[in-house]
Amino acid sequence: MPVFTRTTKNLIIKIDEFFDDIDLGLLVFREGIKAYLDKDIDAFHRHLQKVDNLESNADRLQREIENEMITHSILPQHRSEVSTLIDELDEIIDALKSSLNEINIEMPDIPSSLNKNLISLTETSINAAEELIPAARAYFKAPYTVREKLLKVYYFESETDKLSFSTKKIIFQEMNELDLAHKAHLRYIIHHIENISDLAQKAADLLSGMAIKIVM
Amino acid sequence: MILFFLTSGLFLGWSLGANDASHIFGSAVGSKMVTFRKAAIIASVFFILGAVIQGSGTSHTLGKLGAINAIGGSFTLALAAAITIYMMTKFALPISTTQAIVGAIIGWNFFTGNHTDSTTLEKIVISWIAGPIIGAVFAVLLYIVVKKFKNSARIHLIRFESYIKTGLIVVGAFGAYSLGANNIANVMGVFVPAFHLKDLDLWIFTLNSSQQLLLIGGLAVASGIITYSWKVMETIGSNILELSSEAALVVVLAQSLVLFIFSSTGLSNLIVKTGLPPIPMVPVSSSQVIVGCILGIGLYKGARNINFKILGEIGLGWIISPVASGLLTFFLLFFMKNIFGINVGSKVESISNSEQTNNLSMYGQNDVSGIIKYFLLGLLIFGTIGMVFYVLLENKKRREMQRSEEKFWKNMK
Repeated sequence: MPVFTRTTKNLIIKIDEFFDDIDLGLLVFREGIKAYLDKDIDAFHRHLQKVDNLESNADRLQREIENEMITHSILPQHRSEVSTLIDELDEIIDALKSSLNEINIEMPDIPSSLNKNLISLTETSINAAEELIPAARAYFKAPYTVREKLLKVYYFESETDKLSFSTKKIIFQEMNELDLAHKAHLRYIIHHIENISDLAQKAADLLSGMAIKIVM
Repeated sequence: MILFFLTSGLFLGWSLGANDASHIFGSAVGSKMVTFRKAAIIASVFFILGAVIQGSGTSHTLGKLGAINAIGGSFTLALAAAITIYMMTKFALPISTTQAIVGAIIGWNFFTGNHTDSTTLEKIVISWIAGPIIGAVFAVLLYIVVKKFKNSARIHLIRFESYIKTGLIVVGAFGAYSLGANNIANVMGVFVPAFHLKDLDLWIFTLNSSQQLLLIGGLAVASGIITYSWKVMETIGSNILELSSEAALVVVLAQSLVLFIFSSTGLSNLIVKTGLPPIPMVPVSSSQVIVGCILGIGLYKGARNINFKILGEIGLGWIISPVASGLLTFFLLFFMKNIFGINVGSKVESISNSEQTNNLSMYGQNDVSGIIKYFLLGLLIFGTIGMVFYVLLENKKRREMQRSEEKFWKNMK
């Protein structure tokens, strides 16, 4: 009988571990961007390696969680939604890894006058994704609280949009010393950072619907 | 010849398995919390246990409605009820064997000129109305309790679902046991007075005549559950209302409690001791109770997502089944008596027919008991072999899957 097996306990541990990986990935990404802006390339590489490991582990956990849910017929009515949520969260850590990799390959030349704006943009975008994790955890334990937790995700996502807009405006309208290719490259980096909060919002939309369904 | 007369009862049992027994696990299977295979095995085993251990009680009520005094009569009305149920099942309408058999008994009473006991009929009809209402009330109350517990205990969703899953299996087993105790009378009740078999010694315990008949009926029900109940389970579990896992548990629990209340003499005696009137021991229509339970939860949740068309079809089935069964019994009895010359029974005062019945049953008692003994032995051997084979197969599948997983992750590294 399900109550006497360890499957349930193992699955709960794996889901928690998956959320931990995403949470930690966001933290390391923030530090990685700061290290790059501070021109501390060794620290940046260390953070990149850490995100890479976390992403691999998250992939493994995602596969195991989905397998166990199907094999042991766990959460039959919510299985596809939970799988989609985990998939959406995995996309966030995938985006963190690919963004750091792009920076590592392209080594964009970021003017120091933009450091403050980029740090602020990274903080806000990462905050949006960080606020998603407690909401996702709450779905499993207290679905009533999910929607109030998601409010912060939407707030930070809209703040990210504003910051991204103002930073791009500075680059294209005020920094006349930069050539167009350089400006386009910086915009590309901003898009990468901004994308994290967009992915968080997408997952928040899904989670919001899931919470309503489970509470009803 | 005696075994031939029993075939209509076995057919009726099969129909009951395909229909009524599926109500116990319908919500669980419909909501995909329990697999059909697991549900069918548990329902079959516990139905047989309930039928053999506690099944003789409710047959008394049906006996009072109409004392069938010829094996030919028992055969015909069981056949008529079974045909009615089979036809309704064909159209995936959950109907009650109780209604079909009551319709058939009344048809027999009409044909043989026997008086239908209006008090007993009244009791049965009241149970048809009270069953779903009590079921709905129980379902709503239990649903509120489960929801409150879920919200306040802050249990992890996966752990909560695993409790629900275990609950569904335990409550389903209890429900199948209660259904066996309550409804087996519908299948074999009409044969019990007409058969007098020799006691069957099964080394560990002994089965008397009526228990042997109830065991045969239980096995017929089990075959119905395994071969044909899937379609009805889908109708009950998914079509009327989309059931959440906790609602599925509540539905099964409420239904089991209603069945238990209407078949437990101990509870009835306890209520009498407190000064209240006794609970009538009536075979309850499990079809009506389950629909009542699902409807109760649907109304509590706001009645927006109830499929009223299916409810209407079920309601129509409730009216059609006793009427169709009664009419079919009347015509079949006419053919049996006038074309095949089979004694289908007469007025209860007639003694000669009862004696004839007893003589006929005594004639074949040793044969039937012997067949049951060897059949059970064969079933035990095949069951054990099947179980060992199944366990080995499952282990092989698990090992192969584990190997494939390990290979996958090794290649990924």
